[in-house]
Amino acid sequence: MAQEFSKKTASEPLLAAWIKWTMDFWDAMAQMGPGLTGEGQAGNPTSSEAGAPGNPWLLSLKLWQAFFSLLTEPGTVAAVFQGIKAPSAIILSMAQAGWGGYFHLHRQWLEAWQETGPSSGGNDFETLDQDIFKICPEIYEQDFRQLMNLPHLGLAGLTREGVNRATEKFTQFQTAMAEFIYLLYLPVKKSLRAMRREQEQGGEKKIPEDFKEYYKSWLRTLEGHYMTLFQSQEYIRTLSHTLIALEEFTTAKQELLAEALEALSLPSRRDLDELCREIYLLKKSAREMAKKLAPAEPSREEG
Amino acid sequence: MDRTKIPVDLILAKVAAEAEAAQHRLEKARDIFLGPLATDIGATPYEVVYQEERVRLKYYRPAAPRLKTPLLLVHALFNRETLLDLQPDRSVVQNLLKEGLEIYLVDWGLPTRMDQFLTVDDHINGYLDNMVDFIRRRHGIAQVNLMGVCLGGTFAVIYAALHPEKIRNLITTVSPIHFDITKGLLHIWMKEIDVDRLVDAFGNLPGNLVNAAFLLLNPPRLLLDKYLGFLENMDDKAFVENFIRIEKWIFDSPDIPGETVRQLVKDLYQENRLVQGRMEVGGRRVDLGQVTMPLLNIYGRYDHLVPPEACEVLSKQAGSRDTKDICLDTGHIGLYVSSRFQKEIVPQIAAWLLAREG
Repeated sequence: MAQEFSKKTASEPLLAAWIKWTMDFWDAMAQMGPGLTGEGQAGNPTSSEAGAPGNPWLLSLKLWQAFFSLLTEPGTVAAVFQGIKAPSAIILSMAQAGWGGYFHLHRQWLEAWQETGPSSGGNDFETLDQDIFKICPEIYEQDFRQLMNLPHLGLAGLTREGVNRATEKFTQFQTAMAEFIYLLYLPVKKSLRAMRREQEQGGEKKIPEDFKEYYKSWLRTLEGHYMTLFQSQEYIRTLSHTLIALEEFTTAKQELLAEALEALSLPSRRDLDELCREIYLLKKSAREMAKKLAPAEPSREEG
Repeated sequence: MDRTKIPVDLILAKVAAEAEAAQHRLEKARDIFLGPLATDIGATPYEVVYQEERVRLKYYRPAAPRLKTPLLLVHALFNRETLLDLQPDRSVVQNLLKEGLEIYLVDWGLPTRMDQFLTVDDHINGYLDNMVDFIRRRHGIAQVNLMGVCLGGTFAVIYAALHPEKIRNLITTVSPIHFDITKGLLHIWMKEIDVDRLVDAFGNLPGNLVNAAFLLLNPPRLLLDKYLGFLENMDDKAFVENFIRIEKWIFDSPDIPGETVRQLVKDLYQENRLVQGRMEVGGRRVDLGQVTMPLLNIYGRYDHLVPPEACEVLSKQAGSRDTKDICLDTGHIGLYVSSRFQKEIVPQIAAWLLAREG
């Protein structure tokens, strides 16, 4: 067979998808974060201070978003994977946005450093902001569930029940995702509090002149908090709940699509899956028969 | 309230100096980005010698062969096999070639919706067995050497237990065998996953979901520090090239056939059947006592994904009388991305195989 060299990988859409996921993550942070310089009320993730103009947390996040949004430009992604021949303007914008975020984070941490508000307990995730785990479902129960009594939408072939179910599952998924993302934010908050408390307990207040050292120390603390979180029952429960919500939404969406396809006399995903299964079984039988007929002893074909 | 006194002027001056340095760095980086960059992965020349549906077998020929028994490398389904040939100076494939080994590498390909019903049996007693038979026929030999990476190593162990007569020597690298452990985040998370719902909803397990799960293993390093590191080193051409190569590999996770995921999660992560001798593949019970060939078991002391506890039990459970464990001071992919560990371990692998060549 012909000599082959590595072919182009299928990374581009995956990278774009991940960058979008990252951006959504930071976006959610910006929307939900209670703000590092203030003590945002527990269980009130939409506190107005988070969205206040000039809020350094929000500003930093916006800059990081800008950095990642430049990465999502199709031209940039393509350039990255084609050996990087992007216009220098794109690269410079990316880097400047990134550095801007970095310096703003620096400033923000400095401000957080000066903050001497009450500190929370150590690594006990069970006792921190417990209300947040109740808030999202409550919002859903009170506000969204009532909206499910929609009038018939009149879309050809779609039942009201199907549309309602898909909408409901979507909302449930969004709610679960919001809860999950907020949980992911908690270690950031806790690590900054822990850093400040550590310095306070040291008596002599060390000054974080070397930002890099401070950053490294913070990163280690943050990693520790994430490790604690990831092994907690609260995290495992939330992760499992979010995945179930995603699965239920995906299934509801597929069922809705199947209804529409059925109305148009087109095969649905389920029909195609059945076909795939039949082909799979046929191929498997054919392979087993071929194996029984093949010679048993090895013989050298070529060197 | 007492407020910490901070010499803000001093610090801001330092920040300004850093900003100036960053500007210089950007100027240098621009030249690097505008020039040619070598970012290919899996670039060592190979020949596709066998193909069955999406699965391909790559063959790498050494300049000076030293062993007559070729080595078949099996990677996990969750990532691409290009990890073993990430870059010229940090390539497991190239280092093995330098040791004079003939190499075959399994490329599991990119599963589509058509592949969702493929089981563990199809991968092990189907594709893998067919490739082993192909190599045996091609070289006129009765046995091949088999080496597995991560869950590819678990596949290799299962294969060796079911077909011991076809395997001369078995090498596992960071391969989990014992799944009922309290260390390792994947081991913890997988116990609670409702895999039936996941597979029923998606068909194949989406690669993007796998990517997200891997990133969540360490968000501070993988979502923040890595990119700050990139910004700090973007004026270093070699760093930029290597960074892009690893990013390419990380985000190249294929979808995984649903029925295979279903069995792996239930039998291994949730019920720990392999180590108990209760796992069945293709209607046959997998007995680790049947792993009677020489066994070299390599794992990482600081591997948070597949901790030593998940790997080291293999040597005790296997039926082989010739076993050797090597615990490296590294993490899960250290062996594959670190030139230092490759220089340390690849000659050991070659020497170990050579000593058992017969």
